[in-house]
Amino acid sequence: MSGADWLSYSLQDFVMFGPQVFLRLFVRINQDIWPWQLLAVLVAIAVPALLLKQDGRSRRMALGLVSMAWIASGYGFLVGYFGPINWPAGWFGWAFVVQGGLLAAAVLFGGVHERRLRNGPLVLCWLMAVCGLLWLPVVEAGSWQAIALFGVAPGTTAATGMLALALMTGSWRGLYLIVPLLWSLFSAAMFWVLKTWWLLLLPMATLMGIGAAFWFSPRQGRSPG
Amino acid sequence: MERRFNRRQFLINTGLAGLALKSQVLFANTSGTPASSPITRRVPGTGEAIPVIGMGTWITFNVGGDTKLVEQRTEVLRTFFDLGGTVVDGSPMYGSASDVVGEALEALGARDRIFAATKIWTGDESETREQAEQSRRRWGVDRFDLLQVHNLLGWQGHLETLKAMKADGEVRYIGITTSHGRRHREFEQIMKREPLDFVQLTYNLLDREVEDRLLPLARERGIAVIVNRPFQGGSLFRRFQSEPLPGWAGDAGVGNWAEFFLKYIISHPAVTCAIPATTRVEHMKENMGALYGALPNAEQRQRMADYVRSL
Repeated sequence: MSGADWLSYSLQDFVMFGPQVFLRLFVRINQDIWPWQLLAVLVAIAVPALLLKQDGRSRRMALGLVSMAWIASGYGFLVGYFGPINWPAGWFGWAFVVQGGLLAAAVLFGGVHERRLRNGPLVLCWLMAVCGLLWLPVVEAGSWQAIALFGVAPGTTAATGMLALALMTGSWRGLYLIVPLLWSLFSAAMFWVLKTWWLLLLPMATLMGIGAAFWFSPRQGRSPG
Repeated sequence: MERRFNRRQFLINTGLAGLALKSQVLFANTSGTPASSPITRRVPGTGEAIPVIGMGTWITFNVGGDTKLVEQRTEVLRTFFDLGGTVVDGSPMYGSASDVVGEALEALGARDRIFAATKIWTGDESETREQAEQSRRRWGVDRFDLLQVHNLLGWQGHLETLKAMKADGEVRYIGITTSHGRRHREFEQIMKREPLDFVQLTYNLLDREVEDRLLPLARERGIAVIVNRPFQGGSLFRRFQSEPLPGWAGDAGVGNWAEFFLKYIISHPAVTCAIPATTRVEHMKENMGALYGALPNAEQRQRMADYVRSL
């Protein structure tokens, strides 16, 4: 097809499912993995607890948990549940797995800095994200079973996981940004077409998370709070 | 589709949707069609009669492995068959829709009742047979009644293979599709040159460009026409459902907005079948109401178009 033909398509043409089907993905995965999402809750709590310590070992453990969350939400939600109704989502699922692998590589190969950082505000942002974002699909679906946990739901995982940027060295940050930015673009377009307005806060939170992470990370010549 | 208010009104006015359908059938002026018989059109190439209302699966049947929604869609399909429908149209582009149709057909034991139509949707023109076979397995049918090149993607290569498949008895009919008014000039050229059994295109009360050239050409060339997006993706309901039907609607065999939109389409002499899609049984019942009763004549069709334009 020519470029003009492609331009004749609208975003709607590429979203092959309705909002009901999408929101039920959250309900279904929560039903299917019960009670294992309690593990996801523990991880979501353990990460900020580790971040409160300023030592490198705790940071690496925290980032290791975030890495697992990327992999779990990518393979579980995106590949397993979303991919069958939307093939680009399956690709994003594998991209999330790669993103988790990248974070694990940063942990193993010196991509985590050990300089002091303003961990108080960082932890506060983390808790606000994991506790606030999980309700957005609930509001849209009208069912608490649609709760979007960190490590289960990709939107919450991406938005919260961006705060890990604050702990990474410069050379690794660029690599870590690619998937979340593409995911934010993709998911924002999808939520727009589906008219699930509350869910648009997820890609917005991801972008805010990136900004916050850069703000909280220590810079040369600037004293951490 | 947001048409609850109007449809609820309809249900209240008639008591039950099923009763509403019956009343349509019993009291409509059928213009030569027995009141209890579904309206059919003949495929020009063979004379085979098919019901004028079929079912599309775009978006509506793409529910993945959601067993609750698969069951709901199965009930939609059951209603479709019970009310006289046969033509079901899909595409490999529609995510899991082919699998869901296959599951529903299996659950209903209805593979012998379906006119199975799907599309070839791949830019690789050597993959025609492979994709057709994949779709056949997903639907669980012995063979497709109709295979169409989706939106003209790789149409030259696919159409050659489809012609060979038809000659070998692997498919009964072949065709091409477009939607949203895309590539009509090229579509027209293919219709003029190629031995097509079917074309599928977008036609509804607001998208009427095909009335000028493509529909007359289809008649002239003896090509059956399947109409997609008869409700313009649901937007016709969103725009007009709060408006009253015109007082003369009953004379045109129309009892609700779904019938208004569908009967305008299927009353065009070149149209063989319209394929509305829905996720809900009550909407399917309303859609299938258009399969029965009178059809608007040329003058009434003009009034329908004028009325919608005036709103």
